[in-house]
Amino acid sequence: MATLASTFQARASTTARRRAANAFMTGVLWAAALSIIVLLAFFVGYIFYLGLPVISWHFLTSPPSEVSAGGGIGPEIFNSFYILILTLIFTTPIAMAGGIYLQEYARPGLFTSLVQFCAESLATVPSIVMGLFGLLVFVTMFHWKFTAIGGALTLTLLNLPALMRVTQEALASVPAAFREGSMALGATKWQTIRKVVLPSAIAPLTTGVVLIAGRIFGETAALIFTAGVSVSAGRSAYDFGLFHQAETLSVHLWYTHSESLVPDAARVGNGSALVLLVMVLLFNMSARLIGFGLSKRFMGK
Amino acid sequence: MISIRPGTEGEALPETAPKLRVEDLSVYYGTVQAINHASLDVRENRVTALIGPSGCGKSTFVRALNRMHDLTPGVRVEGAVVLDGQNIYAKDIDPVSIRHRIGMVFQRPNPFPKSIFENVVYGLRIHGIRGRKRLMELAERSLRHAALWDEVKDRLNLSALALSGGQQQRLCIARVLAVEPEVIVMDEPASALDPIATSKIEDLIGELKKDYTVVIVTHSMQQAARISDYTAFFLMGQLIETGKTRDIFFKPTDKRTEDYITGRYG
Repeated sequence: MATLASTFQARASTTARRRAANAFMTGVLWAAALSIIVLLAFFVGYIFYLGLPVISWHFLTSPPSEVSAGGGIGPEIFNSFYILILTLIFTTPIAMAGGIYLQEYARPGLFTSLVQFCAESLATVPSIVMGLFGLLVFVTMFHWKFTAIGGALTLTLLNLPALMRVTQEALASVPAAFREGSMALGATKWQTIRKVVLPSAIAPLTTGVVLIAGRIFGETAALIFTAGVSVSAGRSAYDFGLFHQAETLSVHLWYTHSESLVPDAARVGNGSALVLLVMVLLFNMSARLIGFGLSKRFMGK
Repeated sequence: MISIRPGTEGEALPETAPKLRVEDLSVYYGTVQAINHASLDVRENRVTALIGPSGCGKSTFVRALNRMHDLTPGVRVEGAVVLDGQNIYAKDIDPVSIRHRIGMVFQRPNPFPKSIFENVVYGLRIHGIRGRKRLMELAERSLRHAALWDEVKDRLNLSALALSGGQQQRLCIARVLAVEPEVIVMDEPASALDPIATSKIEDLIGELKKDYTVVIVTHSMQQAARISDYTAFFLMGQLIETGKTRDIFFKPTDKRTEDYITGRYG
């Protein structure tokens, strides 16, 4: 009996210790989660504090100044969207086709492993290295000089693997039962992909594309050597020329803080940072909203 | 004990010609043999039930009947499945056309994340049938045939995923009926459903054999007894015994069949 009682006592003390450990770890994890929110709130708040006084209609629409104070970021905002759209036009079809091939068609084997390996390697190339590659190929070898299209193609190389992976994961999330149901009705593989698999994956696909759009929008290092650090001087502020220089907002932010001669570089930088931050947050938020809305519509929930 | 209701159709129905002859079928997953030289005649306009304990190869067997194994890497099928005198595994046969003629209903209802209407007409669209009016007619006919029309006629544009499990399964049957296959293969179509939904599916299968040849996998011997005309008993990848359902249940010739029927294992 004595042994039994001591066993219970031992068990009670173990339970108390386990409870304490549980409470402690819950607290640690909660604090870690909270610190992420605090960090982001501080970060966003500080950028708003510095940037908000700079924002005006004039700042958002007028061209930058090279030497005197009072320059705006109009063409930079335009170029950011222009290069983003060009990049998505180049990236999306190739990445989706590659992702569909890897997920739906490729059978395990040497070729499939090779494609996967190359995609993963490409994904780990630092963006500055990709920028130098773009400089060598598009700027020097093709004699394009700094161009919007050279920047967009460099960003295409940079984001192709990520978007391919997004496609693969989106397709993998579609239950095999949908594919079997379609094939069992006498549909071909391509009919199944086009009419069942892709529509079922539309929510994760769209979310993925928008998130990558946010990354493209904020990309800097790969563009400095390819799309250039100034807007096409002497031409219209909103310049659709594929082969004209096209400094983006993020590049402009880097440029004003490191190279620029304007006396109000800090002011321009703070304003640019705020606009950039708001844009990227908007991309992230709309990715969530679009994903939520689409899955509600397609899954009937 | 299993009872077969007296006067059920199964007793009176005359023997029909085989619609599907399975000849010496073996299926391998890599090096593992899942089906071992099975031969079976599936008779036209009759319900053939496949019974046996879990993992005995029933599902593997029926997936070989419409070449679903082609979709899974590493599965190898040997032997022949002859549909109206033509081996569906012959070199010049397009598996897509075979799946059109031999429809399949799965264990778990798998409607597409589309509207009820779009689910029913999916196969029709795939096979090139156009025109809202024509599709509507065919959809109504299939849904009526699957005993689902009255429940969904006012909400055809609603997502199919909003239906109950039993309704989803009947929708999946309607989807198969719409493309007018000759044989319908069902892989435990009621195993994920409640008893009421199950009895609706069973009644439906009784109706379907007027127009179709039905092969059904079931883990329920009662279900096999209630709805089938012929029964095949599988054990560990082997087709042990096949015959009229009454004979399998009341006069099994193989000791192993008898043991299974009387509940000694499985």
